[in-house]
Amino acid sequence: MNPLLMSVLLIVALGVFARTMIGKIRLLQALQPAERVNHIAERVKNMLVLAVGQKRLIGRRRERSSGIMHAFIFWGFCVLLIRSIMIYGEAFQHGFTLPLLNEAHLAGYLYTALKDVMEGIVLAMILYAFYRRIIVRPARLHNSFEAYLVLALIGILMISDLLYDGARYNLTQLYHNPAGIHFFNNPRYGTEFAWTPVATGAASLISHLGMKANMALMTAMFWLHICTQLVFLNILPLGKHFHVITALPNVFLKSLGYPHEKPKLLDLEDEAAWEDESLGINHIHQLNWKQGLDLYTCTECGRCKDVCPAHVTEKPLNLFEFNDRLKHELLANADKVIQRFRLAATLAQCSDEAGAEKIRERMAALNSEKQLVDDVIAEDTLWACTTCRACEEVCPVTIEHVPRIVAMRQGQTLMAEAYPKELNPALKGLERNGNPWGIGYDKRADWAEGLGVPIMAENPDVDYLFWVGCAGSFDDRSKKVSKAIVTILQKAGVRFAILGTEEKCTGDFARKVGNEMLYQMSAQENIETLNGYGVKKIITACPHCLNTLKHEYPQLGGRYDVTHHSVFIAQLVTSGRIRIEPSLAGALTYHDPCYLGRYNEVFDEPRSLVQAAAKGVYKELDRCGRESFCCGAGGGRMWMEETIGKRINLERAEEIVSCQVANVAVGCPFCLTMIEDGMKELEKEEEIRTLDIAEIVAQSLA
Amino acid sequence: MKILTTVKKVVDVELNIHVQDGAIVEDGLQYVINAWDESGVEAAVQLKENHGAETTLVSVGGGDNTDIIRRCYAMGIEKGIHVDDPALEKADSFIYARVLQKVFEKGDYDLVITGKQAQDTDNGQTGIILAEYLGLPCVSNVVGIEVIDDTHLKVTRSGDTGDEIVELALPAVVTVDVSINEPRLPQMRGLMMAKKKPIEKMDLAALGTSAEEIGCAAPKSEVVEFMPTEKRAGGRKFEGEAADITAEVVKLLAEEAKVL
Ligand code: SF4
Ligand code: SF4
Repeated sequence: MNPLLMSVLLIVALGVFARTMIGKIRLLQALQPAERVNHIAERVKNMLVLAVGQKRLIGRRRERSSGIMHAFIFWGFCVLLIRSIMIYGEAFQHGFTLPLLNEAHLAGYLYTALKDVMEGIVLAMILYAFYRRIIVRPARLHNSFEAYLVLALIGILMISDLLYDGARYNLTQLYHNPAGIHFFNNPRYGTEFAWTPVATGAASLISHLGMKANMALMTAMFWLHICTQLVFLNILPLGKHFHVITALPNVFLKSLGYPHEKPKLLDLEDEAAWEDESLGINHIHQLNWKQGLDLYTCTECGRCKDVCPAHVTEKPLNLFEFNDRLKHELLANADKVIQRFRLAATLAQCSDEAGAEKIRERMAALNSEKQLVDDVIAEDTLWACTTCRACEEVCPVTIEHVPRIVAMRQGQTLMAEAYPKELNPALKGLERNGNPWGIGYDKRADWAEGLGVPIMAENPDVDYLFWVGCAGSFDDRSKKVSKAIVTILQKAGVRFAILGTEEKCTGDFARKVGNEMLYQMSAQENIETLNGYGVKKIITACPHCLNTLKHEYPQLGGRYDVTHHSVFIAQLVTSGRIRIEPSLAGALTYHDPCYLGRYNEVFDEPRSLVQAAAKGVYKELDRCGRESFCCGAGGGRMWMEETIGKRINLERAEEIVSCQVANVAVGCPFCLTMIEDGMKELEKEEEIRTLDIAEIVAQSLA
Repeated sequence: MKILTTVKKVVDVELNIHVQDGAIVEDGLQYVINAWDESGVEAAVQLKENHGAETTLVSVGGGDNTDIIRRCYAMGIEKGIHVDDPALEKADSFIYARVLQKVFEKGDYDLVITGKQAQDTDNGQTGIILAEYLGLPCVSNVVGIEVIDDTHLKVTRSGDTGDEIVELALPAVVTVDVSINEPRLPQMRGLMMAKKKPIEKMDLAALGTSAEEIGCAAPKSEVVEFMPTEKRAGGRKFEGEAADITAEVVKLLAEEAKVL
């Protein structure tokens, strides 16, 4: 075909594309640093499983049909990419093929067949996608012009390629190949068309048009295909379909070792940071480049909001919109962000103070005009999040929302001092008495009176520290759980102690509401105490304590082997140190706490324990495991009013009621409170008992 | 408007207070800003923020009060005075009021805001006595303050059966209840800046008075002894048929409690 035309098309299209991409990449480079290029093998694996394997698209029961649809479109694209190279080559060299994928090899035929079938499937999927968007209209989808345009373009790509091949078939097989068109024809494998049922099907649709028309059609389809592809390529970076390009790298660069980026340990004494307003995220340039890439990558699929407890209960938190607004703010400030970044580099080189001051002033002037919270994201939106991570767990492209939300809360608390004031009693309680209830710290071990529980100060020679947590120490309902754990540990003969009045809140809720100061104070004191006793192994009943001790304390020099009581008790059972006899009457279900399941991947042990103790049947809740539904208490929400929309705990309690069980097991003191409260509100607390795993085990000990 | 607020450092009453040999066991105790005074400070800072005012704080006695004064700086108070003197060790409300009177007379304040009581002694006297000494109008148990103009406030006083709305000509003294506001929690930025702010420290001589003048030698009241409160015995729970329980309870009331 026409090499000159092809060259012009390619140069223009790729030139424009490169220009757009360079702009996007420059912007990312100007954002804050993030450590993501390491552990390559693990990253490649993630990419293969999550992106190439489309795990979160086809792996979710709830979303299977649309998942399969997307997966085939994606795989179809991968297959067609190779075909595209050959088509471009065809313009320059008649009968161009890639090594191996030619008529001499079986691989060439196999590839031809695969491509053919894939095109058929993709076309079917596109039709299904139109059907979903127009007829089914799932609530999570955001129907935009762009969505339809891209679907149409993909449809055109498939049809044009199939018709191109169809015309080739007609011309070579029916019209004796007047133009000497190249096609595979190996005596061992036959003609390529014997391998392309879909294209030959398409051929039959146009065979009656005659030779000339087929010739014209072949040329037209060739160029239509190419032009569509080049237009498509240039549309991609402009909207949500940028994910076609960024999804793979985004998944490759996802957080490792912990489900999302850990909260940054802020240096609160750093005066320059206070000057620069750079504690937390207050301005758009303070996102790190990976967070910027997340924004580029969001596909607007809405899976996140579908599972978000805040969104489901009508709070004004719509993650797709959240991302979209940040993305627009980022793009709107692109020039400023880049200029600011250059100035920062100059500042780092600058040695005279007066010059540095000038640069700092210029940098400050380049801050985005809008405050991220209030002007871009509403306060109620920011504070509605329970940090449950349901959104992150379902996001097909592994976008991390929670670290961004927490960092923005840090900005609000530290810089703007604009956080929900209803948090004050809990924060003050933490500050004064080391617990959000504000009860005197000296009463922390009162629950253990008379139980013969050793206190670390008197008895440091133990194997385990039982970290009780504030709820287990001060909340009447949770104290019963602490006692149940003591019963189990004593029965198993575990050598353990508690810290007693020396224990303090881990600071989890303070950190999640952005109060880094109180978090660090509390954490440092705890670490000093723990390290003072040389504590190595910790058991705890609170998943929030577990998560903080295990994943966040290392930032401050506290490294411990931390186990949730369910895991520890399961080990006691396996090693035969305790035995469980079924004693719990009635059907039973289990509610996965977010910080135990999604954050710490503990799903099986709680289930095996409560199933062993149950006489009745065990049922799973509709939303369970990785897709468990939050109780509403995380992220400091325990200490805030819930005035907008339906209460989250009520939504969950209703789900449990509809599961028709007599018991619901939990593994977190906050879930215990929230779900029990929900049951009370539904007047079901007599019929459905809310119990901690430890309570169930303790009453079933043989 | 120039506002003088008062703060007292008190023992954290969330803690169990142990008494041994008539004295409080200090071990394990912690000291905090009196909650009513904290509300007074918040009220002063709000007046400053909403209407413009100069805010000064005074704390009397208590040894090292730096921490609580800094905390009030972080809340937004501009100037802090700490009056301490060995002679004040046994001071009562009357003596405190005299000291506050001297502080008031050294500045020219339009409004004094005190907490209506302190959570350690629960006396609730100092603010009112101060008003008496100064010959100024006083409204106690205040739950709302509005500014009418430079010389008039409209304050809400919570009474036993309802609220009283009082128009108050300045200068005046108000003593506030904790329900007037939710004191802000000092944040890092404020605390850091507070560290650098000076605190004006003075003894009685520096204040221009003496132990004799304010009556330290003969306090009108004196703490003689501390006694632990009796622990309440736990209740008893009865289970079973209503009729049986009634019979048993009646029996116990007659025989054990001897009230019937
Ligand atoms: S964040 Fe993820 S799940 Fe949510 S809309 Fe974007 S791509 Fe979909
Ligand atoms: S963490 Fe949970 S509450 Fe927060 S946005 Fe994600 S799904 Fe919603």
